[in-house]
Amino acid sequence: MAKHKTPLLDQLESGPWPSFVSDMKQEAEARAKNVNNVEYQIPVDVVEDLLGVLELSFDDGTTHWKHGGIVGVFGYGGGVIGRYCDQPEKFPGVAHFHTIRVAQPSGKFYKTEFLRQLCDLWDFRGSGLTNMHGSTGDIIWLGTTTPQIEEIFYELTHNLNQDLGGSGSNLRTPADCIGQARCEYACYDTQDLCYQLTLDYQDELHRPAFPYKFKFKFDGCPNGCVASIARADMSFIGTWKDEIRIDQDAVGGYVSGDLKPNAGAHSGRDWGAFNIEKEVINLCPTECMRYENGKLEINNRECTRCMHCINVMPRALRPGVQTGCSILVGAKAPILDGAQMGSLLVPFVEVNKESGYEEVKAVIEAIWDYWMEEGKNRERLGELMKRRGFQSLLEAVGIDPIPQHVSEPRHNPYIFWKEDEVEGGWERDVTEYRKHHQR
Amino acid sequence: MEYEEQKQLMIDQLMKKGKTKSKFYFSDLAKILDMKPREAKKVVNKLVEEGILEFWSSGSTSMYGLKGQGKQTAAEHEE
Amino acid sequence: MAFISSGYDPSKPMENRITDIGPRKYDEFYPPVIANNKGKWLYHEILQPGVLVHVSETGDEVYTVRAGGARLMSVTLIREICEIADKHCDGYVRWTTRNNIEFMVDSKDKVQPLIDDLESRKFDAGSFKFPVGGTGAGITNIVHTQGWIHCHTPATDASGPVKATMDVLFDDFKNMRMPANVRVSLACCLNMCGAVHCSDIAILGYHRKPPMIDHEYLDKMCEIPLAIASCPTAAIKPKKVEFNGQTLNSVEVNNSRCMFCGNCYTMCPCLPLSDKEGDGIVLMVGGKVSNRISEPKFSKVAVAFLPNDAPRWPQTTDKIKKIVEVYAADARKYERVGEWAERIGWERFFEKCELEFTHHLIDDFRDPAYYTWRQSTQFKF
Repeated sequence: MAKHKTPLLDQLESGPWPSFVSDMKQEAEARAKNVNNVEYQIPVDVVEDLLGVLELSFDDGTTHWKHGGIVGVFGYGGGVIGRYCDQPEKFPGVAHFHTIRVAQPSGKFYKTEFLRQLCDLWDFRGSGLTNMHGSTGDIIWLGTTTPQIEEIFYELTHNLNQDLGGSGSNLRTPADCIGQARCEYACYDTQDLCYQLTLDYQDELHRPAFPYKFKFKFDGCPNGCVASIARADMSFIGTWKDEIRIDQDAVGGYVSGDLKPNAGAHSGRDWGAFNIEKEVINLCPTECMRYENGKLEINNRECTRCMHCINVMPRALRPGVQTGCSILVGAKAPILDGAQMGSLLVPFVEVNKESGYEEVKAVIEAIWDYWMEEGKNRERLGELMKRRGFQSLLEAVGIDPIPQHVSEPRHNPYIFWKEDEVEGGWERDVTEYRKHHQR
Repeated sequence: MEYEEQKQLMIDQLMKKGKTKSKFYFSDLAKILDMKPREAKKVVNKLVEEGILEFWSSGSTSMYGLKGQGKQTAAEHEE
Repeated sequence: MAFISSGYDPSKPMENRITDIGPRKYDEFYPPVIANNKGKWLYHEILQPGVLVHVSETGDEVYTVRAGGARLMSVTLIREICEIADKHCDGYVRWTTRNNIEFMVDSKDKVQPLIDDLESRKFDAGSFKFPVGGTGAGITNIVHTQGWIHCHTPATDASGPVKATMDVLFDDFKNMRMPANVRVSLACCLNMCGAVHCSDIAILGYHRKPPMIDHEYLDKMCEIPLAIASCPTAAIKPKKVEFNGQTLNSVEVNNSRCMFCGNCYTMCPCLPLSDKEGDGIVLMVGGKVSNRISEPKFSKVAVAFLPNDAPRWPQTTDKIKKIVEVYAADARKYERVGEWAERIGWERFFEKCELEFTHHLIDDFRDPAYYTWRQSTQFKF
């Protein structure tokens, strides 16, 4: 028998898509039954009360959570978000209901043994409800009480060899795409770079000293499956410098209809026979391809690596072999001054495992120094770049300007020349001038 | 400046400012110490470890304060 | 409910403390076929909606069955996922960036039993637990934020509208008839914990009423300088107010400057802003993050406001369904929603999708606004 009536939520149990309400109810029931005799460390009816408070929000159209400044475990400035219910008498089970962020493994691969250990711990010391995963990438544990937080951290670190994720003015838990683990497009090992940088920058992740949040995301190719270009202060997007590898026989296979274009991605509709002119050659944004006499030619020097032709004919075309990544900086969601996409800072850098990613880390650390010294409180890197100008960033990081940095040159001539850029400097002799110019 | 002096400076300054607010950005602390952010961070970390300073988080932003200071402390420590 | 210690001693927090160890290393969790073929993959193919095969230069193949799921997930359900992974996949499983669950097997004969197993599992009330789909030119799972279940500043719920929307779009989760992939995202307030600003269709919670001011308690519970500093538009100022014959320290809000972000409520519980009539949803369209063919794009506001008609948000899902259907019928192969709208022109987009154009849809926020007005005589009647 449910503790609270939930007539509105019940309406979300129908329909084909997995119902989170049904799942919460099954969890509430499992806790009530407790077949494994778990000594629950927070109220047994926590999920019942969560359903109750959510039903209340569905009814009155407002949230019933308050923010709390609790940050988590001793010595860490992030990883836990404080939450308190604003109707604690009605819903005592969720009166204190803090979120814990657990750093996810790169690529979000798991072994069930580890998942079960996580579940057992969270069942025992928390609500048993999670997000797999949060927007940034962490495993999110929804709801526990303050005394449990250190206990959970102790068990995580001692028994599961597992740490918390980031929150607040920290490096946030870095996230990556599936990369070379299972994708032929990946131009570098996203999982390894993500993991190594996460380890190397643990202090930045746990102890906030940045002006605001800072996100790394790792996309193996310009398709951008983790959306790094839109939501990471630094996006590492795989790319290549040399030629797209072509298997002419396979191109022929697509033209003849033997191979399914787009790896079958469009097979839900009859789009007619594959037409290489229309679907590949004419859609190439740089018009750097042609197909003549059964042969595909690519003028690779003009290619901007948009991935379209490779996506359409994955068996015929592959990225080149001289691979690395482009680094774009400053992406963020709209608040405050409008959304920003990442801006290209480093067109190409080797992603070199053997060097410990020295080349990449040099760029990261130069940017952090610049942002930590110049950034205002709560100013994302992208906003600092806007305020101080892209030149200021280039100077700070020691990168020379190149046309690749802009989509077009400036629209105004109001160039703030520096004195040392102008021949003879700015000190002049007005008396000498007057010898040739009357007042 | 020795660490003990830095500690006292931090406590004095934050107590002085504490009449109107109890939470500070990292950059405020770096200014009190008159150090570059990366150097200041080492001192601040130590002050946290000693239990002089504690973190406060809005979820998106982090702040620091003297341990136990602030109007919401009682409610959040759940006593 | 006796308290059980983990071994942690609160009086000596630093004793035996382990910190800064990060996440577990990814390769502990690679299935053997992944570990053996990493970096050697040659090509892939989507065999049917939700089923992919990747072929390695070693000749190995990995078959992936992708299943949708709510990102809000109980340990009971995760244990069921473990049971499936143990039964079919030697104990390995992964999640995608978009909250899908991927089960991988190393030979084709293992695929159908896995699909049958996944599709047969339903919750008691009838919804699928693990619907297979979410690949290719279809509509995959929605990435989203917390909403009413756990956030203090949401202007809408997250799990509720996501469930309602995915029910409406379910057929296209299990199909690949779209001109290109369609990415739907939800963020429950403008702070966008889930960055939805580059999605084909973005569902965004939005408040429309400035915070109320609880003068009686404000100075007792909040630090006024912090509340003032929290406001990104500097709309909050200190103010002395008369209350029950007393002069109290409080604040005033310049309502016309308020952008309804809720940051002040984060710092000060005496500035609540959520409101049944005020809060609702903004629909945005036409964003993308891929560099394919055209450059990444921001989403644009297509509907300025829709009410929170819980529990199923029919007004929101109707508009989304309409946009999806018009796009599916009208766009060319490979065109994303934004590319299609730009080709036909936004005036046509509103006409075809039968969306009303109001003054709210013309940008008036700071510098970028100007660049969105039409500086040309080229337009369509």
